[in-house]
Amino acid sequence: MNLSFKVKAISKSRFTKNLFVSLIFLVSFFLVFFSKSDYTVINKFKSISNNYLYPITSFIVAPVKIVSKIKTQIYEFRNLKIENSILQEEVMRLKKWQALAIHNNSENKVLKKLLNATNSNLTLVKTTSLVSRNDFMFSKMININAGLKDGIINDMAVVNYRGLVGRTVDTTVGKSRVLLLTDPNSSIAIKTISNENYSLLKGAEDGIHLVSSYIKGEQLPKVGDLVITSGSAQVFPSNILVGKIVKVIKEKFYVLPFVDFKNIDYVQVVETK
Amino acid sequence: MLLKLLSSQKIIYHLILFFSFSLSVNYFVNLEFINYLSYAIFHLTLIYFVFYFFNIFLFFIAFVYGILFDIFLIDNISPHLISFMAFVFLFYYSKKYLLKFSSIKISYIIIIISFFMLILEILIANLFFNYPINHKNLSWLLLTLSIIFFPSLFIFSKIDKL
Repeated sequence: MNLSFKVKAISKSRFTKNLFVSLIFLVSFFLVFFSKSDYTVINKFKSISNNYLYPITSFIVAPVKIVSKIKTQIYEFRNLKIENSILQEEVMRLKKWQALAIHNNSENKVLKKLLNATNSNLTLVKTTSLVSRNDFMFSKMININAGLKDGIINDMAVVNYRGLVGRTVDTTVGKSRVLLLTDPNSSIAIKTISNENYSLLKGAEDGIHLVSSYIKGEQLPKVGDLVITSGSAQVFPSNILVGKIVKVIKEKFYVLPFVDFKNIDYVQVVETK
Repeated sequence: MLLKLLSSQKIIYHLILFFSFSLSVNYFVNLEFINYLSYAIFHLTLIYFVFYFFNIFLFFIAFVYGILFDIFLIDNISPHLISFMAFVFLFYYSKKYLLKFSSIKISYIIIIISFFMLILEILIANLFFNYPINHKNLSWLLLTLSIIFFPSLFIFSKIDKL
């Protein structure tokens, strides 16, 4: 009696274990499958982790963040003298440019009035700060402190004072993730300023440059050409600065983005007017 | 009941896992080595934990961390989930052979599995989601893992004696 009870208990526990293992495997398989096909299940997971787990992980790593900030400040303090002389030179240079810009601006206004053209094709949705970064190892993403409640939806362009940063993905009520230009899965429709060469760019392997994935026509752009968004893919508004062509190899060209992705503090989410 | 299930060593391992996970998913631009270190420590701890404190509940732990790593680092589910689950599953069905080895041999098995796991994750990310294999990142990661391997095992053995 006692022995049979023991055997039953073991077989029952083994059955439960096997059932548990099979169930976990089944769920894993479905999740792997759904991540490629059904986005609603995956988006639920993403929004839960974004809303509830990020604050916890951020709280845990707060001391490391402080150390990181202190390290930056010490580095900046060390280079204060050199930085000061560079800035003084830049101020002189910018003053000359400012005079020219003011002159051109007034001239532009008159010309635009004559042509009946609009001032800008961009509308600012929200200026927001960076919460945390996830651009270690695989994808190149940052998290910003604005979401659906601020009028941000998926696939909106994100810029800063230097140019195009990326586009919004995984938008939740209070937070959004931004897929940076340097991500290998990002795709940006661009054109060169000099000869309007239309191409598509994606993040290069090194995580720093952008590389062409498609070039319209046979003519390759030249090194030094400036690259702006073409607006043809309907994701990014047109004429936003992207970067400068630094390398042309075989059928590909490499672009160095204007945005310093390692030093992003504030970004602006914009949309086309 | 739950407290009984969790011995003090287990709690410490869970804390190490969660702390290293938190550090891995938050990128520190100026302290990049911390990310490599925490990512390597997480893998090492998970494998050690599974080897010496195996419990059916670890399937669930591997499942949860797999999903979270995938969502935070890749924004798609697959590489970490597959590699973590495959490891726990293989261990579950081969533990009676693996645990016959001496502790030194098990240590070598742990480091080999860690290397394989990291490479597998990168390969799956490349195959499924087109993330290029970044040789610089991979080399740094493997180097970090090699450096911290023996010190980590020493600390783990101290934790086991608590």
